[in-house]
Amino acid sequence: MIFNELSGKTPASRVAVVAAGVISPLGIGLNETLTSLRGSKDCISPVARFDVEKCRCKTAGQISDQRLLGQPRNGRKNERLHRATRMMIAVFEEAFGQDPGFTPQLTVVGTTSGGMSFGEDYYRALHRHRGLRHSPGWIANYPPQKPVIHAQHAFGISAPCQVIANACASGTNAIGHAFECVRSGKYQQVLTGGYDALSELVFVGFDSLQAATPEKCRPFDRDRSGMVLGEGAAVLALENLESARARRACVLAEIIGYGISTDNHHLTQPDPSGSGPRRAMEQALQSANRSAEEVDYINAHGTATTFNDAAEGKAIAELFGKVPVSSTKSMIGHSLGAAGAIEAVICLAALKAQFLPPNINFRNPDPDLDLNIVANTARDARIDIVLSNSFGFGGTNASILIQKVAA
Amino acid sequence: MNLRIAGMGWVTPLGRDIDPVWDRLIRGEEATAQPISDPITDKTYCAFRIPTEALKDLPPHPRLRRASAISRFAAAAGLDALAEARSTIGGIDVERMALVFAVSNGGVVYTKRFYHSVVESGAQSASPLLFPETVFNAPASHLAAILGIAGASYTLVGDGAVGALAIKMASDLLDNEAFDFCLVVGAEEADWLLCDAYHKWRLLKREPPIEPFHEPPRGMILSEGAGAVLLAREGTVQIDAIDAGGNFSERRKANEIVRRILHGLADEGACIIASANGTFVDLAERAAIEKELPKAIVYGPKPALGESVGASAVWQIIVAAEALRTKRLPQMLRAGGQVGLSFLAVDGGSWSKAIVLSCGLNQQVAGLRLSI
Repeated sequence: MIFNELSGKTPASRVAVVAAGVISPLGIGLNETLTSLRGSKDCISPVARFDVEKCRCKTAGQISDQRLLGQPRNGRKNERLHRATRMMIAVFEEAFGQDPGFTPQLTVVGTTSGGMSFGEDYYRALHRHRGLRHSPGWIANYPPQKPVIHAQHAFGISAPCQVIANACASGTNAIGHAFECVRSGKYQQVLTGGYDALSELVFVGFDSLQAATPEKCRPFDRDRSGMVLGEGAAVLALENLESARARRACVLAEIIGYGISTDNHHLTQPDPSGSGPRRAMEQALQSANRSAEEVDYINAHGTATTFNDAAEGKAIAELFGKVPVSSTKSMIGHSLGAAGAIEAVICLAALKAQFLPPNINFRNPDPDLDLNIVANTARDARIDIVLSNSFGFGGTNASILIQKVAA
Repeated sequence: MNLRIAGMGWVTPLGRDIDPVWDRLIRGEEATAQPISDPITDKTYCAFRIPTEALKDLPPHPRLRRASAISRFAAAAGLDALAEARSTIGGIDVERMALVFAVSNGGVVYTKRFYHSVVESGAQSASPLLFPETVFNAPASHLAAILGIAGASYTLVGDGAVGALAIKMASDLLDNEAFDFCLVVGAEEADWLLCDAYHKWRLLKREPPIEPFHEPPRGMILSEGAGAVLLAREGTVQIDAIDAGGNFSERRKANEIVRRILHGLADEGACIIASANGTFVDLAERAAIEKELPKAIVYGPKPALGESVGASAVWQIIVAAEALRTKRLPQMLRAGGQVGLSFLAVDGGSWSKAIVLSCGLNQQVAGLRLSI
């Protein structure tokens, strides 16, 4: 199925990214992110937020509270906001600082757990029969849509919010749907992105599945043993390219294609044939009217679990051959609903600075995966079109294509 | 916009299947609330639950073997909507169908059970079987697998307005010529934990009835179930306008957005299907209706069916479609006597449009208008 077969009725609008904001273990903002990517920084550290003594995995990619609270509009009076909300406020600050004239008609974001740790606080307080005086605040602010609504209020934005919870594909699905909304001509400006903060329930959940590793996260490595969780947020301001140029907005890049597929093989495991990811990537190419040979870099989902990397790696190898591939989750962990948005911003940074972000902790190629891995260090490269993948529980697969804007 | 309802299905505390439940609503029946106890603090609440017989003929499927109640409700409603559509518009190509799933609290029963074992016994006792079912899109994944949807599937999360936002998303998806159909499903399951949370948030009362439009508000009763509408480019009932609204910063400001939405959707010949549930929502809707469409007949299904959050807006849309198809409306149950709104039961109504207002409890508001 080809997306946006517009059959000549309405010419598809081109979709510009006019601003972006990011916060992740790599740093706060595009500049810090770029520096950390260039430096192949390993941002994984021992989990500090909750007790992981009885978990196999004891590490994650984390953002320090001190840095979060140090952000503008995130001061002492906002201490009671959820960390995911504070992350969203930080990325709004950056994006709207770049383009104060951006006024979205719609916001489409992804998350998997929103303010889940407030739900955990409430349940623990119930369980120990004390500390419930804070419960109305926890209950009101735990729902997954709250971080984006709070951030919108902080910036006087009134756009309706569509909050997509498609597990780990949420962020890329959000960007893809926002892209389709602008491309259809129905919307001029759509804000998109994703967020997730580390939570005990989710951490323990992945640990119980033995999907999380007690070792280093080594995507696509022969000896990969699982994922490491992370956290963060990112937003991208999407606008009809003509409209952006008319108001002389700075165009960072173009989103040119989106593919989505659902793999009904199993709730948590991909079809080993890689057919689900392959269909999403093929659709993204078809939607952009591009061939696989035109793609210069792939930011893979690359969780470093045995099954994901095998299915994704097989699909990439079959479709793209030796295109450079990396999983930046090796550096920051898997930030779930935020991952697709953060990785889209990483792609923007790569296009801007013309380099390939690294896949760190890589030691031994997997003999079953014929891939060109950007191993361990960033590499300079001429890149015009990049593909970003996100796949999730429930069999959701999403891919977007991003293109450098000609100078 | 050519967005039409080709099929509908619902699983409600008054039963399953559109016609029998609609008849019960017309007769003025309300669901029977059942006690739901909190084993931690020994408090007892009430909720409108799904009768066991409502799902007795749900076809078995491997995906539903271990699935939570919310997934079963959604499967039943989704299958019914497709069956109705097939009987009216013929074959449906699943390859050209998208799925948009609206949910608020999601698989709360398994989520609570999973986390309870972590709190009680530590991380080593966490269940790898339960965890995948705690993910918000698990019910949508099961439904996609049952229906064979291999393309676009989205789970939207939000408050009681999320069903209306899902319709908006479906409308945007159907602008894409890759799709001919979009199945919108809203679903929720009830649990004592939700009752306790909404009660601590001062929105829920311990026992029925829901008394809409009382001032001050007396509180809501939770319910569970699912609603599904298959949107297509053919069908008798059209959705001719959708306002995805916005987000209010504090409860007292909800009426500004509700009023703005109603102003945009207003039509003198329309009836209104309200989301009034015994909370501040009622006051926001009342103020907006009094200002914008004071003569409109108003009906809200929540006193009869309860507040099903993620499913609620889809239920309202089904009620609106039935009001247009049958030209009948039930009487609003237990509405405050002093309210200056029209709550009469109508048989042989003259309306050709129905406005659905959906004001959530957690800052989201949206609305839409149906016509026939």
